[in-house]
Amino acid sequence: MPIKNRFAELHSDIVEWRRDIHEHPEIQFDTHRTSALVAEKLREFGCDEVVEGIGRTGVVGIIKGRKDLSEKVIGLRADMDALPIQEQTGVDYASKIDGAMHACGHDGHTAMLLGASRYLAETRNFDGTTVVIFQPAEEGGGGGREMCNDGMMDRWGIDEVYGMHNWPGLPVGEFSIRAGTFFAATDLLKVEFEGRGGHAAKPQETVDTLLMAAHAVTALQSIVSRNADPIDRVVLSITSFATSSNAFNVIPQKVEILGTVRTTSIEMQDLVESRVKEVCEGVANTFGGISKVDYNRNYPAMVNSTEQTAFAKDVACKISGRCNEAPLVMGGEDFSFMLEERPGAYILVGNGDSAMVHHPEYNFNDEAITAGCSWWAEIIEQRMPLEA
Amino acid sequence: MPIKNRLAETHAEITSWRHHLHAYPELGFDVHETAAFVTERLRGMGINDITNGIGQTGVVAVIKGCTDTKGRVVGLRADMDALPILEASGVEYASKVPGKMHACGHDGHTSMLLGAAQYLSENRNFDGTVVLIFQPAEEGGGGGREMVNDGMLDRWNIQEVYGLHNTPGLPVGEFAIRSGSIMASADEFEITVTGKGGHAAAPHDSIDPNVTAAHIILALQSIASRNVDPLEAAVISVCALHSDIDTHNIIPQMTRMTGTVRALKDSIRSQVEARIKKIVTSTAEAYDCKAQVEYRLGYPVTINHDAQTKYAAQAARTVAGNVDIDMPPIMAAEDFSFMLNKRPGAYIMLGNGDGALLHHPEYRFNDDAIPAGCSWYIEIVEQRMPMQ
Repeated sequence: MPIKNRFAELHSDIVEWRRDIHEHPEIQFDTHRTSALVAEKLREFGCDEVVEGIGRTGVVGIIKGRKDLSEKVIGLRADMDALPIQEQTGVDYASKIDGAMHACGHDGHTAMLLGASRYLAETRNFDGTTVVIFQPAEEGGGGGREMCNDGMMDRWGIDEVYGMHNWPGLPVGEFSIRAGTFFAATDLLKVEFEGRGGHAAKPQETVDTLLMAAHAVTALQSIVSRNADPIDRVVLSITSFATSSNAFNVIPQKVEILGTVRTTSIEMQDLVESRVKEVCEGVANTFGGISKVDYNRNYPAMVNSTEQTAFAKDVACKISGRCNEAPLVMGGEDFSFMLEERPGAYILVGNGDSAMVHHPEYNFNDEAITAGCSWWAEIIEQRMPLEA
Repeated sequence: MPIKNRLAETHAEITSWRHHLHAYPELGFDVHETAAFVTERLRGMGINDITNGIGQTGVVAVIKGCTDTKGRVVGLRADMDALPILEASGVEYASKVPGKMHACGHDGHTSMLLGAAQYLSENRNFDGTVVLIFQPAEEGGGGGREMVNDGMLDRWNIQEVYGLHNTPGLPVGEFAIRSGSIMASADEFEITVTGKGGHAAAPHDSIDPNVTAAHIILALQSIASRNVDPLEAAVISVCALHSDIDTHNIIPQMTRMTGTVRALKDSIRSQVEARIKKIVTSTAEAYDCKAQVEYRLGYPVTINHDAQTKYAAQAARTVAGNVDIDMPPIMAAEDFSFMLNKRPGAYIMLGNGDGALLHHPEYRFNDDAIPAGCSWYIEIVEQRMPMQ
């Protein structure tokens, strides 16, 4: 069972959809055009039910198999949103929207799931129900969480969920997966320091907030280097530093720093959260100021279920000949919310030697489409087989 | 076939050896009495091929099997040295030498290897040769390196080497092991920062090496937190700092820091070494000081060979039933690594039950672990060199 022949025939159509979506990137929950396009296609394919507005702008399509003796329901999920990046790929179907770009290949994910939907609606060679899930706002907005909070899993009785991401560096059409923790938990960190602003020529009359914050940035390094278990995996990055005034001669009243924390265990997540608060409060006290830490547990760690991972790996091996054991990824992925509610698995499909995701020169590789579509279709046909 | 029956009979005798060694701890290469005791016991078992003075004070002894059709030679290693710790265990056979203590259980390791030697010399149910290796100076002196440098492995044509260590926290008599890096490398660094000494009331006339040293310590935190791949392990600890003057009112001329680097891969060791040198040199330059870094490679990473790890786990399973074959690596170091760098082999952890940790004044080697440890040594020999 290699690539399904039907996807070779559909390839040019799917590429056309992909490039249309690529030209019109939309960010976060503002995926109105993309969602409308997806819903229109799903109706055109003859889906039994198409519902818009799940998780604000998410779209859900239902495809019933020839039989439903198993009463099994499997969800397949793709993400639709783009990134606030100025495209530099130079392709002729480049983004028409200034400052927005499909730099993570969600255009490819959406087009591949549309391709699989078309095939499944045409053939319906399975015993059960397929739910195709198109979600907005994977890039930080928590679209997956919103769809779950809208009751999607119970409303359609979804038993298992599967997701896929393209992966630069992995040969085109090859797959890679791991059981257990796969992507890191992604927390967001905001700290506001407040001292006493004043004239830069009279530091003695101020409490220098900028100096305090600089010390805090340095002290925060000690959480990874001194507090975390060296065998465990922890990343803490301070990514933004902003003073409340922007002058040469004013000591600012406030400084706000932003950052992200990546962990793969609850123990480390708890440790980092409490240490961040202690470090910021302690350093602020040292310099006579105050700190306010806003620690937001955003995406949980994405954990692949053991049984479904073995199955997904087996399917991938049959399509492309092999499926590697993937390393842990310190990036976050909000498919984690769906995997917290239902067993399932997330797989990587090779994008070849392209620029890394989130790079202005990144582009989804259309050659990966047939492998990706085949994986979706085989997941359904093998997990819910028609009895011979 | 669990614990060897014969060991139930010899358990009391082996325990008495252990208690004797415990009462008379010796440090580093200065293990003359211990080596003499080992030699005497071996002679008592009828083992006559004994060589002293390998690696200064190490002991090597040979036991031949009933047959030797294949020329196989397996090395079994134990360490003999104690630690400079004042014992507070409260046992009746406690150290009679104030300030010295068997706080790492090497008394137990040596006794267990003697117990195995007794059984092997009585039974000789193997086809080949066993080389018993009793090494000095595991705790920092590199006794293992010295024995290897003395040509031990070639002289006795040792083909594989096996070692074990007791582990508090692991249930008594259970085993744990992993393939690949099991214990970290341990390198040492010494940093000297030279400024310009002077009166503490006139800092502008001096160049303060203490402030520079403090900046270096902080900047070194960024290596583990910012430079090393978060999926890899690295520990950089600055452990001591001394100024050349110890007063309240003099800015010193020179400040010296020492510390340790732990890693599980040579590439990470090199990366950390290069970053330390860069950070020290550049920071010193920024503060107008001169700095020197002496980076000394210490014990290498202890790397278990894949095939021998499987054999070691199989021998353990025969003895204990419950064997963890995927224990997390330990960031402490072990100089059995020198032997494993030259010959295939494996190092295994033997449960010591609940109680104080290694190197703690209240630590106690658990005599109930003796039959399991002895049986493991014996099984390695009988399974790796089976009789026809």
